[in-house]
Amino acid sequence: MVSTLNRKLWRDIRRHRAQFIAVAVTVFLGVTMFVASYDSYLNLNASYQATFTEYRFANVTYVGGDVETLAGSVAVVDGVESVAVRTVADHPLQIGGVKMLGRVVGVPADQQADVNQLKVLEGSYLGVGDSVLVEEHMANHFDLRPGDTVDVLAGDNWIAAEVAGIVSSPEYIWPSRNRQELITTPDNFGVIFATEETARRLTETGPNELAVYFDGGAEDDGLLERLAPMATAAGSTADYTRAEQPSNAALSEDIKGFEEMAGFFPLLFLTAAGLASYVMISRLVHAQRPHIGAMLANGMTKRKVLRHYLGYGVVPGLVAAIPGAIAGALLARVITTFYTGLLSVPVTLIEFYPVNAVGGILFGVGAAFLAALAPALVASRIRPAEAMRGETPTGGGRISLLERIVPPLRRLPIRGRMPLRGIGRNPRRTIYTIVGVVLSLMLVLVSWGMIDTVNHLMNTQFIDIQQEDATVYFTGPVGPAEVEVLAGLDGIDSVEASLEVPVTLVAGVEAYDTALVALASNTQMHRFLSVDGDWLDLGSEGLLVGKAVGDLLGVEVGDPLEVQAGVVGASFTDEIAGFLDEPLGTLAYMSTERVEGLVGSGLPATSALIRYDEGLEGSDLRSEITALPSVAAFNDSKAMFDMMQQLMLLFYAFVGVMLVFGGAMAFALIFNAMSVNIAERRREVATLLAVGTDRRTISRLITTENLIVAIMGIPIGLVAGYYLSKAAMGTFSSDMFSFDLYVKPMTFVWASLAIVVVALVSQIPGLRAIRRISIPEVIKERAA
Amino acid sequence: MSIVMKQVDKTYGEGATAVHALRGIDVEIPSGEFAVLLGPSGSGKTTALNLTGAIDDVTAGSLVVNGIDVTTLTTDEQIAYRRSEVGFIFQFFNLIPTLTAAENVELVAELTGHNGGDRAREVLKLVGLADRADHFPAQLSGGEQQRVAIARALAKEPPILLCDEPTGELDFETGRMILGLLRDLNRRNNQTVLLVTHNAAVGDMADRVLRLRSGMVVDDLRIDSPVEAQALTW
Repeated sequence: MVSTLNRKLWRDIRRHRAQFIAVAVTVFLGVTMFVASYDSYLNLNASYQATFTEYRFANVTYVGGDVETLAGSVAVVDGVESVAVRTVADHPLQIGGVKMLGRVVGVPADQQADVNQLKVLEGSYLGVGDSVLVEEHMANHFDLRPGDTVDVLAGDNWIAAEVAGIVSSPEYIWPSRNRQELITTPDNFGVIFATEETARRLTETGPNELAVYFDGGAEDDGLLERLAPMATAAGSTADYTRAEQPSNAALSEDIKGFEEMAGFFPLLFLTAAGLASYVMISRLVHAQRPHIGAMLANGMTKRKVLRHYLGYGVVPGLVAAIPGAIAGALLARVITTFYTGLLSVPVTLIEFYPVNAVGGILFGVGAAFLAALAPALVASRIRPAEAMRGETPTGGGRISLLERIVPPLRRLPIRGRMPLRGIGRNPRRTIYTIVGVVLSLMLVLVSWGMIDTVNHLMNTQFIDIQQEDATVYFTGPVGPAEVEVLAGLDGIDSVEASLEVPVTLVAGVEAYDTALVALASNTQMHRFLSVDGDWLDLGSEGLLVGKAVGDLLGVEVGDPLEVQAGVVGASFTDEIAGFLDEPLGTLAYMSTERVEGLVGSGLPATSALIRYDEGLEGSDLRSEITALPSVAAFNDSKAMFDMMQQLMLLFYAFVGVMLVFGGAMAFALIFNAMSVNIAERRREVATLLAVGTDRRTISRLITTENLIVAIMGIPIGLVAGYYLSKAAMGTFSSDMFSFDLYVKPMTFVWASLAIVVVALVSQIPGLRAIRRISIPEVIKERAA
Repeated sequence: MSIVMKQVDKTYGEGATAVHALRGIDVEIPSGEFAVLLGPSGSGKTTALNLTGAIDDVTAGSLVVNGIDVTTLTTDEQIAYRRSEVGFIFQFFNLIPTLTAAENVELVAELTGHNGGDRAREVLKLVGLADRADHFPAQLSGGEQQRVAIARALAKEPPILLCDEPTGELDFETGRMILGLLRDLNRRNNQTVLLVTHNAAVGDMADRVLRLRSGMVVDDLRIDSPVEAQALTW
């Protein structure tokens, strides 16, 4: 049987259902976000790990040197389960007349490799012969099917290879060319797998990589340390661990976002729910003082009163948190399925994590419990005699802080002074409302800041830094004549040669693998943005390197840096002339003249940067340029920019949802504070009406007061939101991406306006209640 | 005539739950009269006061105050009427806690176009609170708060003062002092006073006592020689 107190609880909740619903919705959103983000993170992580285990994704890969000898010595090391020697080389590909940068990866014929196995999605695995397997991103883009052909450039000849099957690979879930070029377009870069024999014949070299798989695929730093000297002894020029592998590194950064989200956003929502709940229950206790006094006077224990008022927090918390946890778990399934489907992750694991669900419910109920605790304690400590006297103080009056700071405000008409006085009337509630505004702005700014930052970074990269309209990749190193051919084509305004070589930057014992780009000292195709925001001149002195190099190698401007270009067998040392703030990748730049001086010979070009004549686009020139025999691929900057914008659509959708949630949270919090504010003033409002004040004036007074409170929170929220966004962006920054926060000034304005609008809208129900106030009824009420 | 009620009915709710607060009341109160409405709880005295102040609507009958037919007023007209014709004094004072005594008065004075500050000081002096003008309600005693409420009602110089249990929250001495003040104002300004109370002793100081029971006037007594408030005992 439901106890009388519980009936009272239910009836009170029903009576104030709008406010309780606002709290419940915020708790629901907080718990949903927690469970959805954390379950998604775990699901995606589990899917990746399962993929890595099932397809034996290498724990470490050594590049260059005598990989066959290295394989022999590594294979017998305790903890190493399998090794695979292979040939990996970049070769131009041609599909249906479209030339592109390609990668040929050697795999055993007839059977899967022991490391980095492939999932055959269509067709069959390789037999003996020159057929190839095509990585699915490229296959999907060009609609390739088994039996189609792909042309591979070997030496000077294009060799047609038949497609045996379409595959996915743990190395190319995100098809990155390297850590410096994480984002590629499917018509600019693709991967094919050929038999090791074919790969060696195409590249005319021996095997150049050793992929190593540890026992059970488990990470083992100690083992890595034991293998390092062996690799050095075998002449390895580079190595990358599973964490450093470009595709995996990009994906790890991506799912890290879910983990971050699982902590930060729910905390924000549950804090907001707690504040809204606290404000409401405090008011309830205040209004029910005489009843509480009567209950205590009639022998009810303090503990029972405490439990009763805790119920006002716990019950809505529980009612919201349980469906929140269920919704979160269901949402996580949708997110995981969508995400793994979008990226074509070979293995998708979706699990229900009871710990997350229970944790979410506990967080939700815990926040509501904590919110109710203070007012419930107040209720249990009420002195019956005092409480039953009826009239309870609603805050003594005093000159407002603003009037004290700005004395002329004291000369305002009374109706101007009333809102100022109202603000200080219940300082705690005012502070909580301000905190609510601050939290809402933080959520809005973090989301909006992401959009601004990414847009800014893309503009910086593709408009401010990269000045070329397109990059033309040659089939191999070429001399000035091939570059001049491009300059002679109709529609080409200007051309500059560029050399891009994989290098290892070394400072003492620290090393970083990247690429060295050599451009003319007076290049007009690339601008160099320093970390201070200045534009640097490539000039002819020293190296300009991405800022991550400074942190990774512990070097500063002026320090010497050794540049080891293993592929071309060259090595030299030069000073760091400056650090660059480039959003994508961490490259090293030098002037061609400087490099030529250091290596003592003229440099070839691996690509050319071109600008079109006014009014022309990439599509006008692509076929003519790619028809040139020396050209391997054509990368239109605008097409790349557009593709990145496309990739951002999903992100915008996510941010849009965050903004809606932020709005809902702000509404819930402000609505509750405003409702309580208005409820507490019923008698004053009735009195004002009785003495002849019209309802519009009263509405204006209350609106002004509430708006002032909301506006007080805005500057704090903007500052807090800015720094939080900065910290959030910092967690996504690495040598692959530089996410320095950028917020457009107008974003601050729009975010502030959005809060003002939410504050205005959230008052509507309360102001409607003013219209329903019965003057005779309210002015005779004994308790406030 | 200041207040003329003819066959005034007031019913709350409908059907079986309907409560008849007033049943066909006929009352005429001339200008300058100090009338006391006396009766037990639920007799309809506060309802009669509220209808006169146009903070509640008449269900049936006619109610004319200073020539204005209160029953036909629109919401906006009711507001204008309350500004110009009546001043309310409530049992629980109902002062705005965030405004000082002077500001509480000023707020109402401003409504009627008076110079708020000057008028507030003037009426506070009239009720003997000139030296407490800058105090907030929480810093005033119950009697002082009620005097501020009276000053607030006087600020717009209404021809009628409507007082609902003005001494209900006050001790004996303070209650008598407030009643004396109201009587003094009534005489000095020729303001009509309609005072609701359940305290029969208060009737001795009035010009007229109307006894209500169950929504009807059961006795209409004129007092030829009202006593001074200070002589009242209860």
